[in-house]
Amino acid sequence: MKHWPYIGIFLLARFSCLAAAPLDYGRDIRPILSDACYDCHGPDAKARKAKLRLDDRSAALESGVFDDGEMHKRLTSTDPDLQMPPPDFNRVLRPANRAKLLQWLKTGADWPEDDRHWAFVSPKRPALPKVKNTAWGHNPIDAFVLARLEATQRQPSPSADKATLLRRVSFDLTGLPPTIADLDAFLKDTSTDAYEKAVDRLLASPRYGEHMALGWMEASRYADTDGYQNDRLRYMWVWRDWLIKALNDNVPFDRFVTEQMAGDLLPDRNFFTQVATGFNRNHRINSEGGSIPDEWIVEYVADRVETMGTMFLGLTLTCSRCHDHKYDPIAQKDFYRLFAFFNNIDEAGLGPNNGNSPPFIKVPKSWPDLTESESEFVTPDPVKIKVVQTSVPRPQPGAPDTVMVLHELAQPRPTYLLNRGMYDQPDKTEKLQPATPSVLGAWDAKWPRTRLGLAQWLMDPAHPLTARVTVNRMWQHYFGLGLVKTSENFGVQGEHPSHPALLDWLATEFIRREWNQKAMHKLIVTSATYRQASAVPDERDPENRLLARGPRKRLTPYAIRDAALFTSGLMNGQIGGPSVKPYMPPGIWRSISNASYKQDKGDKLYRRGMYTYWRRTVPPPTMMTFNAAAREVCTVRTDLTTTPLQALTLMNNKTFVEAARFLAERMLRQDAAPRERIAWAFRTVVSRPPTAGELKLLEADLAFYEKDFVAQPDGAAKLLKVGEKPADAQLSPTNLAAYALVANTILNLDEAITQN
Amino acid sequence: MDPLNEILTQQSRRTFLERGTLGLGAMALGSLLNARNVTTEHRNRIGGLQGLPHFAPKVKRVIYLFQSGGPAQMDLFDYKPHLAARHGEEVPESIYPAERKTTMTAGQKSFPCAPSTLNFARHGQSGTWVSEPQQHVAKLVDDLCVIKSMHTEAINHDPAATLFQTGSVIPGRPSLGAWVSYGLGSENANLPAFVAMTSNGRAKAGQPLYDRLWSAGFLPGRFQGVKFRGQGDPILDLYNPAGVTRTQRRRMLDALNQLNREQAGRFSDPAIATRIAQYELAFRMQMSVPDLIDVKSEPQHIREMYGPDVATPGRYAYNCLLARRLAERGVRFIQLYHRGWDAHGNTPKQVGVQCGDTDQPTAALLRDLKQRGMLDDTLVVWGGEFGRTIYCQGKLTKTTYGRDHHPNCFTYWLAGGGVRGGITYGETDDYSVNVAENPVHVHDLQATILHQLGIDHERLTYRHQGRHFRLTDVFGKVVKDVLT
Repeated sequence: MKHWPYIGIFLLARFSCLAAAPLDYGRDIRPILSDACYDCHGPDAKARKAKLRLDDRSAALESGVFDDGEMHKRLTSTDPDLQMPPPDFNRVLRPANRAKLLQWLKTGADWPEDDRHWAFVSPKRPALPKVKNTAWGHNPIDAFVLARLEATQRQPSPSADKATLLRRVSFDLTGLPPTIADLDAFLKDTSTDAYEKAVDRLLASPRYGEHMALGWMEASRYADTDGYQNDRLRYMWVWRDWLIKALNDNVPFDRFVTEQMAGDLLPDRNFFTQVATGFNRNHRINSEGGSIPDEWIVEYVADRVETMGTMFLGLTLTCSRCHDHKYDPIAQKDFYRLFAFFNNIDEAGLGPNNGNSPPFIKVPKSWPDLTESESEFVTPDPVKIKVVQTSVPRPQPGAPDTVMVLHELAQPRPTYLLNRGMYDQPDKTEKLQPATPSVLGAWDAKWPRTRLGLAQWLMDPAHPLTARVTVNRMWQHYFGLGLVKTSENFGVQGEHPSHPALLDWLATEFIRREWNQKAMHKLIVTSATYRQASAVPDERDPENRLLARGPRKRLTPYAIRDAALFTSGLMNGQIGGPSVKPYMPPGIWRSISNASYKQDKGDKLYRRGMYTYWRRTVPPPTMMTFNAAAREVCTVRTDLTTTPLQALTLMNNKTFVEAARFLAERMLRQDAAPRERIAWAFRTVVSRPPTAGELKLLEADLAFYEKDFVAQPDGAAKLLKVGEKPADAQLSPTNLAAYALVANTILNLDEAITQN
Repeated sequence: MDPLNEILTQQSRRTFLERGTLGLGAMALGSLLNARNVTTEHRNRIGGLQGLPHFAPKVKRVIYLFQSGGPAQMDLFDYKPHLAARHGEEVPESIYPAERKTTMTAGQKSFPCAPSTLNFARHGQSGTWVSEPQQHVAKLVDDLCVIKSMHTEAINHDPAATLFQTGSVIPGRPSLGAWVSYGLGSENANLPAFVAMTSNGRAKAGQPLYDRLWSAGFLPGRFQGVKFRGQGDPILDLYNPAGVTRTQRRRMLDALNQLNREQAGRFSDPAIATRIAQYELAFRMQMSVPDLIDVKSEPQHIREMYGPDVATPGRYAYNCLLARRLAERGVRFIQLYHRGWDAHGNTPKQVGVQCGDTDQPTAALLRDLKQRGMLDDTLVVWGGEFGRTIYCQGKLTKTTYGRDHHPNCFTYWLAGGGVRGGITYGETDDYSVNVAENPVHVHDLQATILHQLGIDHERLTYRHQGRHFRLTDVFGKVVKDVLT
């Protein structure tokens, strides 16, 4: 600690070498001030010390701390009573950042008059940057990426080979690998638009809607249970069906969001738009006896605000629930004005014991092929409370043929600021009306002060955040990281975009293309940036933030399972419908709850992972092992870590062993020599043929296993009984078991669960 | 080089290093990188943050015996002899205000006082009061620091348990064990740093538990508690499929390693090296875990000490013995949950049933640690998510009563390294309704647990959604009075 001033000076010296790049207040200085100083000198008036605020330009300049040497003194002092941040403050100001502040002070502390945080200013369409290498690139995205690379004397990577590229884009658009037939057709097609045709085919596949629905389901905290304590059942799969269809139909994003936010308030509302509003009912609901209803209604409403904040605004609105935001200009009152939009739902504080919680509507048996009259808007029954167990107030439960929706109360609930966010501490001096924070863009007087108006505000082309946040999540889908890495936080504490102009170009392009989602996906996957080979190391940029190579990433937990089922021929491709209950470890629910898991049989075991029953308090363990979001609160970014539990799952889990058995059966059905069979399976799983060495190794293993099983046929018989689908009795058990272990090896390759 | 570029690159490299070396056995890569974050005083440590521990730790590990459902403090430790005379009298509104009664009892017409019908006696040199069903733990009271003044805000099981385990009633935060594993890393290359185990007792039903109680929350997923299961494979998918031998598995892993290494040569992605290492670790776990859970290898007198349930996976006694065996092998945070304390009706009998399942094993664990000299560097924590009401839920009779949830005061005990054994800390009022002296909040307990591990709870933070989160939110004070 004692030595930091010297380190600081050393770094300062290093930084002064970079004099060519002057410090930019918004990019370089504010993030440091916000992280290290705002806790006591930021927007939260109650926490402010020494009446000094460093988040507000005029107040900061007026204080004179930049000019009178005070700040410099505080930053360089070794006196614990003087130095800032104080030594007992638990936040560390890194030496490099301290040096930057000093450098900024030294060069005149330039703080531009328009100091709005970049993300709160509407995106303007940037001009395409000039690049030297005019031969590279397929669309405007590439100009932005290349300009950035050229500025740092880097080159883009060559294009990935065709097979790798088809595998990459197939997983990204459909969550499934290409078949050998797909690969062969693509390799054979030498036309200049071969890739574009492949992309169009994938975008038109119904698998696209399924795969794209997953990220939205995780963000919308979709699940099959309520999520608290006994974790009672609910029925929301009809909403999931709606979601898949809306994505496959390429409903423009503004309409897509508006239906989900306010499908019950649209002038042209109908049964389907009503189902869409289930989005705002996917939050957890507490059914625990003894809970206080008013407390939980507040939780549900706050969850809706938080989810909207994360998904559309990229802001951590929750911070303002208890106090003015510490970093962003969102006051506590702003939070409760947003809260007021969602506070008028005709809902109950406690859930029923099992079943949907009102408001809900009955789903006709003919779903999703509704007749004209069935497609009409339905008014849900109002909440009917019945007191049980002397004093537990429960609403009527919705049966399995219902779905939860939004519906307004005739008389809105009054909204007040809640001190410390507590339901029983309303500040009744002021009743708050629905309104949006002015710093995030103007409100048009023609919009109603309802969720519908709120959706119109969000989808207004001038809105500074919605389009940027959305295209950033799209980017994250393809590249693993967003242009703004903190895809959940575009606020002052969020990370600056790696390519600000590209982000704004994409945002304005999304609006220019009338919120056409598939068009944006196509734009990204047809860029030269996306098509680059991923095998080029750059130790200086391990996360590939500069995009000098293509994305290499592990598959999602869902795609890992689906690919195993798909390549083994086990996958049941049915789209939509109620969730299913595939294999789970014994006692999965019973061991920690009062419910028992009743596994499905037959075809239902092999549905895509997105249909696996999601019990929130005990989520499917294999999905969680591969870093699925827990579906408790809105999550738009999950980390990918590598653990031994993943290895155990892929080697030993019943689903994966059964998949290996059936991949082996497919191998044996190839009328070919063992060598060709292995090559076929290898290519089926990893989308490229094995090298001679790889083939030789697996062939030797096959012989070894075969000999082993011939010596111990019991082992083969046992292995062939893993999983419920019986093995083909026509095949030799020892032969099949040996192939199954080779298939197990192939399915465990790093490459099998990776998009290169 | 433009500064933004430099920042990006610095950050990337930092993330890369963190990814590569921290946590549950990214060993191969750790050694590739020369295990650069292993400090001299923690030579055997795998992962963990630089600069941690913040100060000399009192203990190496924690065993947390979570009693799920809300044990009734006045039937266990918080003895109120004078209340016997008030049997059936209304608990005054001035003592127990209406607002925080749960809706399960708020509608009752009457709130009669239900003093404990269980016998209490003083034990040990310290003369600590303990109720009769805890005869085994009673013999060890001189090792316990009994805190009678715990309190929380949460009144329902789910938020209350979540608060105890993650510092917040809102889901999505890392659990205590995950924070410890993130901060201090692991001391065993073949086992996770954080293990969670659950058990059911003989009580009819217990409160459910939730995976989130041992989750990593927003910390990287590898810090999540690894669940040891009472049924099937002790760790999910630990064993080879039926019919597959260890030789065959070894052969497969050799092939896999070679093929993956070739892949690593084509794509210089450190993630591949990590994956190779994790397969090897998985293979070693397949060896080490069966040995770990082989409780039959324990001598007879040890097994007898833990009681008749000791050989049954999924029982508390089994988990207690496993806890000791995990502790011996360097597992940092061992979290047990025992269900069934939610006794709304017939509470005195239910307390007896719960103690029947837990008292002997708990005492055995303490003794076992002590006789091996391990109690000195282990912190043992006992307690649930809240306490129970002094007023009767349902019908009060001479012999029985029910009790509802009660957040305002309840009892915890601590034992082990750096803890003042044989003391009682904090006091409750005459009715065991409110804390009268030395309140200890959930966050204070959490701060104290971290403190014993050498962690300053205010400085173990993780940046998420732009905020520096910590286990204790913005609260928590180390309870120095209970520490030596």
